[in-house]
Amino acid sequence: MAAQAQDVAPAGTVRFTLDGQDIEACGDETIWQAARRHGVLIPHLCYKPDQEGLRADGNCRVCMCEIEGERLLQPSCWRKPVDGMRVRTRSGRARHAQKMVLELLQADMPDEAYVADSRLEHWVRALEVGTPRFSQRVQPAADLSHPAIAVNLAACIQCTLCVRACREVQGNDVIGFALRGGEAHIDFDMDDPMGASTCVGCGECVAACPTGALSNAGVPPERQHAWQGQESEATP
Amino acid sequence: MNVSVDAAGIEGGRRRKRKRAMAKGRQVDPTAHNAVREVLGDLPRRRDLLLECLHRLNDRFGCLRVEHLAALAEELRLSMTEVYEVASFYHHFDIIRDPQAEAPALTIRVCDSITCAMCGAEDLARALEGRWGANVRIQRVSCVGRCEAAPVAVVGNKPIRHATAGTVAAAVATHEVAPEAIEPVTYSDYCRGGGYRLWADCVNGKRDRESVLKTMEDSSLRGLGGAGFPTGRKWRLVGKEPGLRVVAINIDEGEPGTFKDRHYLEHDPHRFLEGALIAAWAIDSREIYLYLRDEYAACRVMLERELAALQADPPAALPNIHLRRGAGAYIAGEESAMIESIEGRRAMPRLRPPYVAQNGVFGLATLEQNMETMHWVREILERGPAWFASQGRHGRKGLRSFSLSGRVRKPGVHLAPAGITVRELIDEYGGGMQDGHELYGYFPGGASGGILPAAKADIPLDFDTLQPYGCFIGSAAIIVFSQHDRARELARNAMRFFAHESCGQCTPCRVGTVKAAGLMAARHWDRELLDDLSQVMVDASICGLGQAAPNAMNCVLRYFPDEVA
Repeated sequence: MAAQAQDVAPAGTVRFTLDGQDIEACGDETIWQAARRHGVLIPHLCYKPDQEGLRADGNCRVCMCEIEGERLLQPSCWRKPVDGMRVRTRSGRARHAQKMVLELLQADMPDEAYVADSRLEHWVRALEVGTPRFSQRVQPAADLSHPAIAVNLAACIQCTLCVRACREVQGNDVIGFALRGGEAHIDFDMDDPMGASTCVGCGECVAACPTGALSNAGVPPERQHAWQGQESEATP
Repeated sequence: MNVSVDAAGIEGGRRRKRKRAMAKGRQVDPTAHNAVREVLGDLPRRRDLLLECLHRLNDRFGCLRVEHLAALAEELRLSMTEVYEVASFYHHFDIIRDPQAEAPALTIRVCDSITCAMCGAEDLARALEGRWGANVRIQRVSCVGRCEAAPVAVVGNKPIRHATAGTVAAAVATHEVAPEAIEPVTYSDYCRGGGYRLWADCVNGKRDRESVLKTMEDSSLRGLGGAGFPTGRKWRLVGKEPGLRVVAINIDEGEPGTFKDRHYLEHDPHRFLEGALIAAWAIDSREIYLYLRDEYAACRVMLERELAALQADPPAALPNIHLRRGAGAYIAGEESAMIESIEGRRAMPRLRPPYVAQNGVFGLATLEQNMETMHWVREILERGPAWFASQGRHGRKGLRSFSLSGRVRKPGVHLAPAGITVRELIDEYGGGMQDGHELYGYFPGGASGGILPAAKADIPLDFDTLQPYGCFIGSAAIIVFSQHDRARELARNAMRFFAHESCGQCTPCRVGTVKAAGLMAARHWDRELLDDLSQVMVDASICGLGQAAPNAMNCVLRYFPDEVA
């Protein structure tokens, strides 16, 4: 039948259902990437697709989606669709996880903002997450030892975008992820002040940081935008 | 057109960067560098041996000094931060920043996990604190795998069973800090008893792969680390993977309440080794990794000795066997985290897919098995699949090694039919409840398997039987508690354990465990909030640690509501 040729997807194309809509993913696309190409922006924090070389890591868990037949939710920035997969990013369960992750992270944010538009605050507003019900962590002190980069880990969400930016994109390997559990934190060289570290001040980490934990020193917060203001129009 | 210009620009940038990097940051101290070289000796300078390098430094100096870490980075050609992030991940590495500071001469580790906490660990720790000054450090640590002798303190490397302030002080006074002596079935004993003949038969073509795989499949043996994946099926699946294959044996037993692997390892180490060799033969692998938790120091000494004996006079051509030493991290028992640790990294679980079976140690197809699972291979192949499958009670199949601890007369490892109930286990194997104690509740699967009340003491204990009750059997660690204990306090202990042992990678676990432990301190628990928190941890954590962390908490809300209302 003539119509059949059109029904067959081109090689490497996958057809799956996203929130009830039939869509196609091409090549190696993840659920998140295919969704965006179809105008659906799934919440994301530890994943910044628009900065070259930054791979997905799947650690923040704000992009979780529900895949029919699977026991656990899956990170859409990591999982690739297969033919016939039924994915829901707005189901009650997926939304609950997304909002709870945002609430948990927001609970630990300081009152002070270091950039004008934290990506975390953006998604907290977009998903209408209320005032966090959890108490705040004991906040780490600011590190203002570097002439160009201000370090305010009070705003850090441990997404490790800066680690990937420093290690994998720039090859500098100054920023690491030290200790573990609730004490796990971003550090420079060996938990050294950034200004005393081997940091060359390339700024890749500042560009990657979604919350202003790393920001340009000496520039007022209202004149700095996380991720350079990209995706500010985004709606979930 | 612009290629040459760009290339020159990049090259110029690199040169600039290198020049500035030379001048900036921490410089390697030549004295420290020489010291590190001397301690490492001829150990190959490989990234995957980073933990071993750190152990050698930590063993020699009693700590890790940052100047030594910087020198180690130089020696291994790693960045400083890559060395530091690994060193700071594991609890048994003690980083000292101040060059003038002395490392404590002795560390006493007091286990504060569930069974030890029930048996007075907190009082013990308090009684020890301040007794010796800064020279002797008292650390509260996660389960050391000796719950049958709770409370336990480890003086240096010497575990003190049923520890009191007096017995610990005596060990300190006489400087008994070496690992205890273990007298297992040795290599020659094991061979005399017919050991390794089965493996040699496999290698020499007297047994065929298909019949071995079939026997393992028919035996109904499942992974005894806790996940319960059918063993025979796993061998067949990994054996079909293309390329080189690796066997990795998980001896990172760390689930509070579990000590069965140590029990079998201490008594009969060659039995699991033969099982691992048969597994390697079955999937055509030439590399076996053994990952042993650092808390089992005596087992390490013994295993090194027994491996040397096997390698000196093997009954057939051996594959390469690598013994790797953990460094104090419960999460390293998660299968993919263990692989990260074997590769010399922070033990952070990997996202799936890809699965370990396809992409495990160094990216190779990997058969990862719990040690006890391998312990049963020889007997199943010798006695046939029906022998193992015919065991069991209440309609269940097989045997389980229960680590029984808490308020029972005879705590210890009890080999019992799968499907036995906790009431039967306590009465028939555990010698009944201790005097003055009545069964109030129990953990059916360590800290992560939830809590059941006495009213649920007649449920068959096995894989798949406890899910309807919000619990699982896991590694079959049964912690029994009585009317003198509070379920809420035990659940809080479990949550603190998970907060302490979380790798810190994903939000639901890293933040969730800490927030939950805080909320559980309140007299009245906020059910709505804890339910919301529990759901995101179960649904969205990367690995089983975060997914199972709320089980005990949820069980208190479900079965012991009066305690938190």
